[in-house]
Amino acid sequence: MIFVTVGMHTQGFDRLLKKMDEIAGTIDEEVVIQTGGSSYIPRNAKHFDFVTESEFRELCRKARVVVTHGAMTIVDALEQGTPVIAVPRLRQHGEVIDDHQLYLAQELAKQGKVEAVTDVEGLAEALARVGSGTVALVKDRRLVEALKRLLEEIGYGWGGEGKRVRRAWPSRVKIRMAGWVSRRYGAS
Amino acid sequence: MKVCLVCSHGGHLSEMLRLMEAFEGHEAFFITYDSIRTRQLQRRYLLHNIGKSPWRMLRAAIATLRILRRERPEVIVSTGSEIAIPAFYIARLFRMKTIFIESWTRVVQPTGTGRIVYPVSDVFLVQWEALLSRYGKKARYEGAIV
Repeated sequence: MIFVTVGMHTQGFDRLLKKMDEIAGTIDEEVVIQTGGSSYIPRNAKHFDFVTESEFRELCRKARVVVTHGAMTIVDALEQGTPVIAVPRLRQHGEVIDDHQLYLAQELAKQGKVEAVTDVEGLAEALARVGSGTVALVKDRRLVEALKRLLEEIGYGWGGEGKRVRRAWPSRVKIRMAGWVSRRYGAS
Repeated sequence: MKVCLVCSHGGHLSEMLRLMEAFEGHEAFFITYDSIRTRQLQRRYLLHNIGKSPWRMLRAAIATLRILRRERPEVIVSTGSEIAIPAFYIARLFRMKTIFIESWTRVVQPTGTGRIVYPVSDVFLVQWEALLSRYGKKARYEGAIV
């Protein structure tokens, strides 16, 4: 199965969807598309707009290959051990504000983590080429550790170890606002 | 310590969720956009998607102000998108500490949000070393999510 996903952005990615739907009509393999904010409605492929987090992960796991735009869905797929074809949204087609997805796809392709396809005409060939070999994705622990350290430092300076806790505004304001906020935005 | 996590509902949220381990032992809550994904979060405030609309930005700023007044977090952490802009400027006003983490998808180009919140961030982290040169001295590289 080929899973195609274009993220949560309100702006869709019709260029990729049209091509993948066209390919779906020519091959035996099942093509499943999460259309997101796209306006194109696939005719040949199975499709839906969004699914829940767990269903999404399951689709990434089951797929032979995940075809996606150039963003965090790449990590979602690689984490499930599925090879990725990254098709970056491009500024020249008005799909995104700048070409950051192109730079990311190129960088990851250089590292051998994804197959980067900028021209959708090359998709059919790339789909045939991509094997089932898994890419080793090593989670970088440094950022988490750095954040932990930072929070500890801030906590120490703010109320820890004999320091006075600073109150940013009077508590009566807080009480007055509390009811309004919970009615309006429904915090759980 | 109370930590406010601000991010939009797509990839920026995915990045935040991969950093959740860092917030263990702290009281964390989200300010994010309303979507099928974010409704499953434990403690969250859901706002309308701002996109590029200045009017919705204003409404989101008012909502953020009220939420931050009520919750009074000590720290605000954001992985980005425009939802962080009002939160970071209001945090400055209330003297809350702010940590901005530029998106992993940004290899060489800074984001608009990053540039806007850079002056008011206490800590500014990027996830690719190549991006450091595009920001000032404050920007730091401390690794990435992958």
